Amino acid sequence: MAEPYLRVEGLVKRFGPFTALGGVDLEVYPGEVHCLLGDNGAGKSTLIKTLAGVHQPTEGKIYIEGKPVAFRTPRDASDAGIGTVYQDLAVNPLLSVTRNFFMGRELKGLLGTLRMDEMNKIAHDEMLKIGIDFSDPTQAVGTMSGGQRQTLAIARAIHFGAKVLILDEPTSALGQKQQMGVLKTIKRVRARGDIAIIFITHNEIHSRLVGDRFTFLALGKTIGAGTNSEIGDEEMRRLMSGGAEMGDLKQELAAI
Amino acid sequence: MANANEADRLKQETGLQKLLRRPEIGSFAVMLVIIVALAIASEGKSFNALGLKNNIAIIAQYGIIATGAAVLMIAGEFDLSIGSMIGFAGMSMAMMLKWGLPFGLGEATPFLAFIITLAMTLAVGWLIGTVVVRSGLSSFIVTLGFLFFLRGVTEVSFRLINKSTQISGLPDYKEESWFANIMGGDVFGWFYDLWFMLGGNLNRRGEQWVEGFDARFLWWLVIAGVAYFILSRTQIGNWIYATGDNKEAARANGVPVNRVKIGLFMFTAFCATMFAACQVFDTNTSDAAKGNLMELFAIAIAVVGGTLMTGGFGSVIGVVFGAITVGLVANAVFFIPAIDGAWFRVFLGAILLAAVFANERIRKRITGGI
Ligand SMILES: Nc1ncnc2c1ncn2[C@@H]1O[C@H](COP(=O)(O)OP(=O)(O)OP(=O)(O)O)[C@@H](O)[C@H]1O
Ligand SMILES: [Mg+2]
Repeated sequence: MAEPYLRVEGLVKRFGPFTALGGVDLEVYPGEVHCLLGDNGAGKSTLIKTLAGVHQPTEGKIYIEGKPVAFRTPRDASDAGIGTVYQDLAVNPLLSVTRNFFMGRELKGLLGTLRMDEMNKIAHDEMLKIGIDFSDPTQAVGTMSGGQRQTLAIARAIHFGAKVLILDEPTSALGQKQQMGVLKTIKRVRARGDIAIIFITHNEIHSRLVGDRFTFLALGKTIGAGTNSEIGDEEMRRLMSGGAEMGDLKQELAAI
Repeated sequence: MANANEADRLKQETGLQKLLRRPEIGSFAVMLVIIVALAIASEGKSFNALGLKNNIAIIAQYGIIATGAAVLMIAGEFDLSIGSMIGFAGMSMAMMLKWGLPFGLGEATPFLAFIITLAMTLAVGWLIGTVVVRSGLSSFIVTLGFLFFLRGVTEVSFRLINKSTQISGLPDYKEESWFANIMGGDVFGWFYDLWFMLGGNLNRRGEQWVEGFDARFLWWLVIAGVAYFILSRTQIGNWIYATGDNKEAARANGVPVNRVKIGLFMFTAFCATMFAACQVFDTNTSDAAKGNLMELFAIAIAVVGGTLMTGGFGSVIGVVFGAITVGLVANAVFFIPAIDGAWFRVFLGAILLAAVFANERIRKRITGGI
């Protein structure tokens, strides 16, 4: 527990003149759920896209197991063990569960043929491990519920060796019961002990339920961090809505 | 556990039920109806020895380009330049055969004429693909540009070099060139020999009537077979479907979306070139209007065969059925002289619309109604 698997130091990301991230620090440990919290536009998605190799940082460093790394493509990041489940879920609805599961990393036999039976079995077994018994992996993903799609994406990331699992608002588009399903999945992954999870959410209750450690972002900066027990409910609400800036905003509003 | 009984909600289907839900089933049913109706209306003439050969000749022509169009459509793009590409490729080959290789490099053999033409059409296909993926413009508009551009280049080249927009009376290369023969000669002679031996396939004098199918039949089977294999059994096939279904998702998972698309624009160019080569070496002629409107037939057949206009879904087998259906109806007027040939277009329009609605229903069923 002493050494974080992934460490981010002073990360800055500018899009032209716009500073989306203005110096963010983050540490994630294996076997922990690290909740990334903050208002809309705070820079959460930008931060994880930078970790996932979609964006390159303007300044700052990313360390994996203490060694500095630079990701030029999403492939680099996933090879380094960063598995990302995007907010707008990267799935192909018309393709089967198996074809989605192995997308871009298909098991090939002679002549580039797909080892379909083997792939079907692996997809089924991997999803079963984290809690969905999906009897027919040849079924199209379009027929799956939102929660099942999240599970597919998570199972896929884990199967392909993710050491850091990044989940960008995995519960936001789901109904109550399905949200609980995803939280259970997160708990099961956490229980393995070897995977660090970054969990982005706007839901205070969810983060309380599964989070070990919190980092709060506002306007591209870290405005607070701590473990679940360190941060009280009052403090949590203040930080989630942008902290001090919220007060300034009230004054500004009053001045109009 | 909330999801534990999820598996029970999926009804187990029998083999027959699965078959009936296959995407090709609609085009298969239409094809059967057409075959039976045509056989009855033509009093069997459309499927006698010569009728079969002539029908398969046109079916294979349609089939070759429809395969290219369908695979590209599965990847989410259109190619309206197929017809002009056919005209361009035919012109290029015939012109080299008549006037020799470019830059005074001497006589052209059929094989050389084909290879040089193919190099050009593949380059144009690459260019179209690159423009589409780089600009992010709709392939509809980019390839519409190439439809006019290539047809214009074909006519201008004809007039500049040949002084006339057609070439006829080329020698019959099939005798001395193996290559011309596999493109324009006969194939599957054994089929007609067997038919003759069994007492059929006779002309009025009681001799063997038809020697074999046109070579394009073989090429259609090869192209459709390879396309089927690649789409359903290989990694590239998976990438083609994914590219047409959700491009961003495919890219996020490491699929080289742009290369897939460019490759498929080259594939439609290849299909158009094969179409043209079979035509040139079969008839030993070429003219600037060849392939006119073929891009639209290719797309129509792809849709009739169950390919989704929006990409991500379709089957080569369905396209085979679609090509048979449309080819038979296009040819029907030759076997049933009483009907007006324009009914073909009425029919094509009607089944095209029916197919679009049917495909949309299939898509909704798969995606759960969105
Ligand atoms: N590619 C880009 N180019 C320019 N600006 C961008 C880009 N991506 C994000 N931004 C800006 O960066 C800021 C942070 O966006 P980001 O998506 O990271 O927010 P978020 O914290 O994920 O918000 P939400 O909770 O709504 O998902 C926003 O103001 C956004 O407009
Ligand atoms: Mg976001």
